[in-house]
Amino acid sequence: MSDHQMDIPPQLSVKIPGAPVGNRRSFFAITAAVVAGSIAVLTPIGVGIAAFLTPLFRKSKSPEVRIALLDQVPDDGLPRYFPVVADREDAWTRYPAQRVGAVYLIREAGQETPTAFTAKCPHAGCFIGYTPGAKVFQCPCHTSAFKLNGERVNGDAEVAPRGMDTLPVSIRQAKAGDGTEIAEVWVEFIDFQTGHKEKIPTA
Amino acid sequence: MTKLFQSLGDWFDNRTGVRKIIHESLYEPIPGGARWRYVWGSTLVMAFVTQLVTGVFLWMAYSPSTQTAWESVFYIQYEMNGGWLLRGIHHFMAQAMVVLLAIHFLQVVWDGAYRAPRELNFILGLILMLIVLGLALTGYLLPWDQKGYWATSVGTNLASQAPVVGPDVKKLAVGGSEYGHQTLTRFFALHAGVLPGALMAFLVLHIALFRRHGLHARKPDHKLDAMFWPDQVLKDSIAALAVLTVVLGLTIYFGGAELTAPADPANPYDAARPEWYFLFLFQFLKWFPGELEVWGAFIIPGLIMAVLFLMPWIGRTRTGHLINIALLFVLLGGAAALTAQAIHEDYFAAWNSKEDILKADDPVLAARYEASERFLNAKTEAHREAERVIELAESPQRIPPTGALSMMYDDPLLQGPKLFAQNCASCHNFVDPSKPVEEQPHAIVNNKPTAPNLFGVGSEAWALGILDPEKVASAHYFGYEGSPFVDGEMATYVTDTFGADVDDEQKAQAKEAFHKIAEALEAEAALPTGPKPNEERKNRIAEGRELIAGGLSEMLDSGMSCTDCHKFHDTGDLGTAPDLTGYMSREWLLAFVRNPAGERFYGDNNDRMPAFGPHDNPQLNQLDDKSLGLIVDWLRGDWVRVAQPVEKFDETP
Repeated sequence: MSDHQMDIPPQLSVKIPGAPVGNRRSFFAITAAVVAGSIAVLTPIGVGIAAFLTPLFRKSKSPEVRIALLDQVPDDGLPRYFPVVADREDAWTRYPAQRVGAVYLIREAGQETPTAFTAKCPHAGCFIGYTPGAKVFQCPCHTSAFKLNGERVNGDAEVAPRGMDTLPVSIRQAKAGDGTEIAEVWVEFIDFQTGHKEKIPTA
Repeated sequence: MTKLFQSLGDWFDNRTGVRKIIHESLYEPIPGGARWRYVWGSTLVMAFVTQLVTGVFLWMAYSPSTQTAWESVFYIQYEMNGGWLLRGIHHFMAQAMVVLLAIHFLQVVWDGAYRAPRELNFILGLILMLIVLGLALTGYLLPWDQKGYWATSVGTNLASQAPVVGPDVKKLAVGGSEYGHQTLTRFFALHAGVLPGALMAFLVLHIALFRRHGLHARKPDHKLDAMFWPDQVLKDSIAALAVLTVVLGLTIYFGGAELTAPADPANPYDAARPEWYFLFLFQFLKWFPGELEVWGAFIIPGLIMAVLFLMPWIGRTRTGHLINIALLFVLLGGAAALTAQAIHEDYFAAWNSKEDILKADDPVLAARYEASERFLNAKTEAHREAERVIELAESPQRIPPTGALSMMYDDPLLQGPKLFAQNCASCHNFVDPSKPVEEQPHAIVNNKPTAPNLFGVGSEAWALGILDPEKVASAHYFGYEGSPFVDGEMATYVTDTFGADVDDEQKAQAKEAFHKIAEALEAEAALPTGPKPNEERKNRIAEGRELIAGGLSEMLDSGMSCTDCHKFHDTGDLGTAPDLTGYMSREWLLAFVRNPAGERFYGDNNDRMPAFGPHDNPQLNQLDDKSLGLIVDWLRGDWVRVAQPVEKFDETP
């Protein structure tokens, strides 16, 4: 077939001799056909979509996690890396005590409660790295860099839209076998949305 | 017989009209005759059919869940007959498809084949292109290895930044707020069901419209018109064969598609990069800081796509057509430049020497070098991990039901160095002193150690080092910075034994005795890498034990033996020096790391070593029992060995 050959457009309605045309009955027939057909087709689609949307209706809770002993975070202003170990649920599987992320704990001289930064980059969610002794945190993906207080090295010129995310920290006292108290660092491990200027929890 | 076939054919044609269909599809007139330049569309169809065929067979072996995805791909790659070839063809044909798409697209625009009445077919083509890119994106995640996992998670995180609907779109794509089973099931449904279905539907429309309007001939026509069959089909087939040859060549050259270590949500992969044809997008994003990212990720690519869709209308005039061509070359050139830039940044450290960079004294260059070094190190590390996991998975113990990741977590060889670096390396070294450091890719170096080097603890050579007057006072043993032991009784005892006033005969005797003691200590450690004791060695070990338990005092001027300070089985007392009973055995070392200041070990003489696990309640300890075990097993060389008995891992890959 070539461009010049035009097809004959198919006729939309075919007249059948003797059949009534355009009366009320045919209007009902058309409506009924459309409605019945639509319900038949749309019902399974709707059910499928409802199941598909499940994740939007699931709320996840941020776990409170014991990160370290306070002794493990000397008040020397240097970040220390700790894995975040918590129970994790993935659909039907429950993983007890899994590494669900990581935090950096920093304590300045005299500071009682350490500051906790989640290692997740606020830009695209990569893990921010820290080489002991370095003066900055660095993200391996899009080369964002953060000062040790979590601020972006290049301010608004940085790829990351905001500084590193801090997490709520609490100190709890635990009892050792001999009755002495040991201070523990606990963190509420909140997951934040990436790419925004504001800290918005994902859950 | 012929007659029977003839009448069967007639009967079938009468019921289906198949002859007309075949005739119509084969006898398409080609204005100006068959030409090589018309093959690209057909090669794309052939590439897609290849993907369908290989994809369906991969499907038969693939299992999408976080405990089985990597595992089943491992099985395809390493255990199934020609599985590596099947997966390799699927992998490289996907890349070929992207290249062929670019050629096809470029040709259509160059030739102005999008002009009326073919506008809609051009748009169908663009939709097909987006579907193919979607297939590439979803397929990358399915092996659930570190590379695919982290590259794709960057992609979905970007998607979540789309204005308004972003977070919800991400949740739906990922199947929750985190990657997991539902991410795999959804990506797999997209990759093997929704997208190929859509592709087929649009392909049918694309070809139908192509047939309706006929081939867009390059003018002027030099030759007579010809039929699609057999002239053009022959050229198409040869082109398809050429594409397949290239794909097979790549597959064989690379040994199939890569499978990196199993995805580990807790261990980021610093070399996470998308497939090469998406690299330009990845690089493009680096130009958009902060909230401007929306421009780089959505607005500009969206505008570009919009312009592409409008090309048939822009190209109605000659100027418009030239604008389209110019735009296309700018886009392709830009993408090529960005890709080159991305690769250049990643391999910067491999292509430049560190000295030159340091000499330049430019912080930007230095930072670039460092970033590249991290990328390259992460790549090597991931290769090493993958090799090890695959080695374990192939070993008779196979993969546990909890998946390959748990197998990785339980392997001292993989976890030991990481835990050591995190918990021990701020004081200890792990370096083979008999070799230059540069030749040991897996050494863990601390240039200012404040504790002994732990390479080979428990071995005869290591024990012999303590009993060597030169070594005992070196940084590898008790000569580290601020050591209270460098002038301690042990070091003095060893130095005095070989002192200037001792005659040569006694020195030789002591040396021989110390050798036996070192052998006896190695026997206490019972290292899995230790030599199998023969009769002679057994005798020497027995002699060594006697020497430790007092025999030494009769031989040396000092009149002292080990058990004057140390306890050894039933001889000697605890409290002054570490117990030598079961010295450096698993149990001994575990107890030691838990609390080195315990009575059984250094007691009050303990230097700065912290107690890593003094409490019965593991929650109160710095290190959990499992990590302690992994460190100790790694130090003792106690891990599953598959290929070669010892030190396979210490060779450069």
